[in-house]
Amino acid sequence: MRDVVITGIGSTKFGKHEGRGLESLAAEAASAALGTAGVDRKDIGALYLGNFVAGPLCGQEVLAGIVADEIGLGNVPCTKVEGACASGGIAFRHAVLAVQSGLCDAAIVVGVEKMTHASGGQVTQALNCAMDNRSDAPSGLTFPGLFGMAWRIHAAKYGTTRDEVSSVIIKNKANGLKNPLAQMGATLTHDVIRQSQPIADPLQLYDCCPVSDGAAALVVVAKDRARGAMDLPIDVLATAQTRGSARIAGHEEVVSFEATVRAAQNAYAAAGLKPEDIDFVELHDCFSIAEVIDSEDLGLIPRGQGAKWAADGRTAVGGRIPINPSGGLLAKGHPVGATGVSQIYEAVLQLRGQHANQVNNARFGMTHNLGGTGIACTVSILGRPDA
Amino acid sequence: MSAAMSTTAVTILKCQACGALDPGPRDICPQCHASAFQPHSVSGDGKLVSWTIVRRPPTAFRSEGEYGVAVVRLDAGVTVLGRIGMSDPDLAPGTRVSAAGMHKGVPVFDLA
Repeated sequence: MRDVVITGIGSTKFGKHEGRGLESLAAEAASAALGTAGVDRKDIGALYLGNFVAGPLCGQEVLAGIVADEIGLGNVPCTKVEGACASGGIAFRHAVLAVQSGLCDAAIVVGVEKMTHASGGQVTQALNCAMDNRSDAPSGLTFPGLFGMAWRIHAAKYGTTRDEVSSVIIKNKANGLKNPLAQMGATLTHDVIRQSQPIADPLQLYDCCPVSDGAAALVVVAKDRARGAMDLPIDVLATAQTRGSARIAGHEEVVSFEATVRAAQNAYAAAGLKPEDIDFVELHDCFSIAEVIDSEDLGLIPRGQGAKWAADGRTAVGGRIPINPSGGLLAKGHPVGATGVSQIYEAVLQLRGQHANQVNNARFGMTHNLGGTGIACTVSILGRPDA
Repeated sequence: MSAAMSTTAVTILKCQACGALDPGPRDICPQCHASAFQPHSVSGDGKLVSWTIVRRPPTAFRSEGEYGVAVVRLDAGVTVLGRIGMSDPDLAPGTRVSAAGMHKGVPVFDLA
């Protein structure tokens, strides 16, 4: 297998893009990625596109080919990848596999979603397509509901408090203030969070990521063909993908996702690294409590301690393991299909030393993208070439 | 609903080939891969794994307003999703519950 690097990156601002279509957002991110990748459009051998709800919310499918046409690629294979909120991470993995295996020397990954034009009920209904509709959806459960239940177990097992979980939100919203692409950076207090409206007990409004429009893109290239890159190429050291239980009832505990645990183990093994080697992580904080659970499942924080570490400042930039210096899904936003690609965009900036909220001397970065009720997960590890 | 209410049975699946129980719906047994599931009634008694109150329902459930959803580990050894009454905000995981009725095909649990 050939070594693969990321040479080009692009991301739109995340937020409300009124009057702009999916194609326009995707093209903006893809053009930015192509602009610095040092690869001609005619040399891009494949496009992989992460998207989840363009069908129900925009009435548009075959997006991969449409975006390729929009950005002027050749008649190359264009594949839309769907794995709910993990769609972007899976698209990235497939582009890496295509280059690693020698199918092509360069591939482009695009993640895109357009959501803010739809009503709250429509968005919830569309996102609920990520549940097993035979077993879980008939109860009326929602994704905030799932994470509310997970929180209740975490609290019962480990004594996790409302204010400890709020520390995750306060940190990510503050990180978002430093990220020019973030939708919802803010300076928040424990009081404001405590008084926000209930969504799915004990989850409240600020525990939930916003509904977002946005796109991100990456150009991945065989390392020995990356000589024209205008910025530092970043090594792809591992990109692991796993499946977890299709049903909530199939999880051993509703306070850990086995797909994350296994993907992390596979990624560490492939990269030859340990959790303590990771300098920062961009992980899937669709809800505040999700960051807590993810950080424990990834082996970065001891089981049960995720929220306490946030409260102690150990997950802030400058702390022991900075989590979501970009602001994460809670503050940068969560245009679902774009998220996994955006996480890698943010990690590449960190490893190049160019991030607006820079982690000092970041050498190894991890990204974690989780889909559905834990049914799909990708974990990637990226490294600076001199690391 | 009162604690004295009799338990409603919950219908799950039993594989006629290997005897495995599954909450269903499902066609193929994950244990032995036979296509031999038949409906099977078990006691609606069990332990609360966790629960929440959905305050923002999806469109399909909007007309119901707010409602409680629970994951319950039935004594039969199978985990199911159902509804739960909203009366007690301090219900802890591990609390004994039992099915007290059905709502649109899913069991409705109450304190045992």
